[in-house]
Amino acid sequence: MNRDISFGKMGSSGNGGSSNYDYSFKILLIGDSGVGKSSLLFSFISQSVENEVLAPTIGVDFKIKHLAVGGKKLKLTIWDTAGQERFRTLTSSYYRGAQGIILVYDVTRRETFTNLSDVWAKEVELYCTNQDCVKMLVGNKVDRDDEKAVTREEGITLAKEYGCLFLECSARTRENVEQCFEELALKVLEVPRLLEEGSLMKKNILRQKQEYQAPPTGGCCS
Amino acid sequence: MAISSLSPTHRYAAAALLSLALHQTQIHQTRPLGVSLITETESYNEIGERSSSSSSSSSDSVSEDPELWIHEGSGLLRPIFRFLEIDPVAWLGLEETGGSSSAKHHIGAFLRLLSEEIEVPSSDRMDYELALSKAVDGMAMSMETTTSVSSEASTERHREYKQDLKEKILTGESQSTSAEVLSETYPLTMSEDLPVKKEELDVPGNKFYEEPVEEITLLSYQRKVAVLYELLSACLANTPEDGKKGSRLRKGYDARHRAALRLLATWLDFKWIKMEAMEVIVACSAMALMKEENPKEEETKISESKWSKWKRGGIIGAAALTGGTLLAITGGLAAPAIAAGFGALAPTLGTIIPVVGASGFAAVASAAGSVAGSVAVAASFGAAGAGLTGTKVARRTGNVDEFEFKAIGENHNQGRLAVGILVSGLVFEKEDFVRPWEGREDNLERYALQWESKNLISVSTAIQDWLTSRLAMELMRQGAMVTVLSTLLAALAWPATLLAATDFIDSKWTIAIDRSDKAGILLAEVLSKGLQGNRPVTLVGFSLGARVIFKCLQHLSQSKDNAAGLVERVVLLGAPISIKDESWETARKMVAGRFVNVYSTSDWTLGVAFRASLLTKGLAGIQPVDISGIENANPSYSHFSYLVILMDSLPLQVDVTELIEGHSSYLWTTQQILEQLDLDTYYPVFKISPARPQQERSPDT
Repeated sequence: MNRDISFGKMGSSGNGGSSNYDYSFKILLIGDSGVGKSSLLFSFISQSVENEVLAPTIGVDFKIKHLAVGGKKLKLTIWDTAGQERFRTLTSSYYRGAQGIILVYDVTRRETFTNLSDVWAKEVELYCTNQDCVKMLVGNKVDRDDEKAVTREEGITLAKEYGCLFLECSARTRENVEQCFEELALKVLEVPRLLEEGSLMKKNILRQKQEYQAPPTGGCCS
Repeated sequence: MAISSLSPTHRYAAAALLSLALHQTQIHQTRPLGVSLITETESYNEIGERSSSSSSSSSDSVSEDPELWIHEGSGLLRPIFRFLEIDPVAWLGLEETGGSSSAKHHIGAFLRLLSEEIEVPSSDRMDYELALSKAVDGMAMSMETTTSVSSEASTERHREYKQDLKEKILTGESQSTSAEVLSETYPLTMSEDLPVKKEELDVPGNKFYEEPVEEITLLSYQRKVAVLYELLSACLANTPEDGKKGSRLRKGYDARHRAALRLLATWLDFKWIKMEAMEVIVACSAMALMKEENPKEEETKISESKWSKWKRGGIIGAAALTGGTLLAITGGLAAPAIAAGFGALAPTLGTIIPVVGASGFAAVASAAGSVAGSVAVAASFGAAGAGLTGTKVARRTGNVDEFEFKAIGENHNQGRLAVGILVSGLVFEKEDFVRPWEGREDNLERYALQWESKNLISVSTAIQDWLTSRLAMELMRQGAMVTVLSTLLAALAWPATLLAATDFIDSKWTIAIDRSDKAGILLAEVLSKGLQGNRPVTLVGFSLGARVIFKCLQHLSQSKDNAAGLVERVVLLGAPISIKDESWETARKMVAGRFVNVYSTSDWTLGVAFRASLLTKGLAGIQPVDISGIENANPSYSHFSYLVILMDSLPLQVDVTELIEGHSSYLWTTQQILEQLDLDTYYPVFKISPARPQQERSPDT
């Protein structure tokens, strides 16, 4: 049910000002099924503590979040992919054009961590078209400290190996959730090429607008 | 569990593909394939990105741009998701995916998802897929054979007509052949770069999209059929909204859906005739269902699972295979229903839908799609026969005295889900409204529009008289016409002699123009009212008829209700429409699929009639519609030029000067042109087979 709420909010999360941002970045969430990708995103978008278990994502979900980081107004379009095996073929096409990728694992389930290097890191390498793309490793569910199966150190080591940022967080308590996305965004802002991409879109739109002189007709799709 | 031929995952993938197709179709409205110079597949990315941002004009998210077809507000996609029983949480992701830039990669991924067998396939499902594909094949075959049989006879008739006309008309215009020859040796400034453009027109489309995505090989034929059939059903179904009403304004088969399905079929490397066969199957099964249910209005029946109903639909289709012909179905079921006055039933359908909807459907909520859909479909072609042909000018609007649809061809009441309306604009006798369109067989339910015959005949005759007048003869003898036309194209003034000479055409011409504008409005009203049975329409017209169509599109674009889904394709031939004074962009938006402007730079008759002053503003019938101010990926080729099919590159082949000898040759060449346009292809094509003109010619000469 809570899903519906977030669903209804979609698109309006940034008070509607679509052109009211400096850069627009595409962020992708990947990782095994059940690690809490959607919960993480929901927690970030809705800014509320979430206790319900979400149903597995079907295919992909999409959310927008406006955010101010480092003095810049950002618009994050976040694609939340399904971790389930049956949708694996699908995710490959979503890597394209992403400026940031968040690899999520569940600190209480070791296999989700090992799968990151066995499966997901390889996927990223294979499909990510963007060399400079910023990657971030996130260990979710740290609120369940007593069940922890992956230590922080292991996480840091893996992150170093793949040149990722690293954070441990909890979608449930919202611990580190915002930092997660903010740090990623900050890092993206540091890379000139990504920055260019993020603003390219906007420039294009402006240019297109000038070219495209056809008056907007309400009759088209109202 | 109810049986669908597709698993939920497959339905998800199918829905995603449709959203992608729908969005690409909208992009192609303004940025058609094959126009931007795509040299490598990779560069499509960039173009795709730009075009998606351009058509989304202000944002990089679908949800923020209500002008998009895939936006919730257009009501094109969500009813389909609902029909396919896709979990609402996934809808947004699907819409955004459809609108995302790297469409090509998504297509591949979703096709792969479609081809994968996630669950163990149940034998029921396999059987269903097999039965369905067999039924479709059978239907397609029977459609093809009926077409080819009947076309032979009508081709003959068409040839006769052509002969008749030539004898009648060419006395004047054939004089221009000398001028034509001149035009060959004397290439007009315009035509010089045209042949090159034409190649571009043909090639990139093939290079890029017409070769199917590689993943397509993974997909079995049966699966393709099942997917397309399900999507088609979803497009036709009139899924009840949960709670709120009217998010989808128009019932029936939306032209934008059809255009998107056409693109999707191309991606799937699936023959369009088979899609048409499916349309007929769906329509006929819907008719059958409706016949079975409505008289009784039994609610118990309605609660029956929808898939068993569709399955029955499949069986009915299979009957076509075993029973032999399509007629077995339509003869047995649909035709009597229509004969029994389905047209009369049409108004009452409005009451039936709520009745059924309130009682049975609410209970089954989203699952009721198929039955509601069947009502919509049946309403579609039930209403049509009576709708269009019954539309004489009951009401007189603005001096239009005559406005009447004549049925042509043999596709009526056969469950065809696409309508063709054909408009003549140069008429010497009443039969010229109908005869130019006879003989070409396609799978449209075709109607010719007969309008304002008095005025049209008078203006056509006036032009003809002038052509045979001494002055014109003299000019033609000197081969002056072509040069005159080319100087006009260079925006110079008419020679004074010509101006004076055309005076007497003027008054008649002005009236005819005025009437065609008004007839256009009438046509728009007919279409908005859904008299064509809420089916997608293909409009084809020449001369003033093309103007009727253009005005109709303009009027549609101004109308408040959702008119964008009415017209699927448009072909204008020799159109007396100013290029600069008219808003081609808005007209374009009313057409979901291809929009073709056929012109001939040697069509000086049109130039004369249309008058000098206007020529400086451009004239669609003799020039490419080339809207300035709209920049395009290809500098030499702007937005609308893809519309332009270049008749006059043809003089390179000797015989084709015959194709358009003068304005009136549209009367008998239209069909050949249409054939070469191959409207059933999604991409802009103009087939030029050098052998063809010769073949065509030999019987006449």
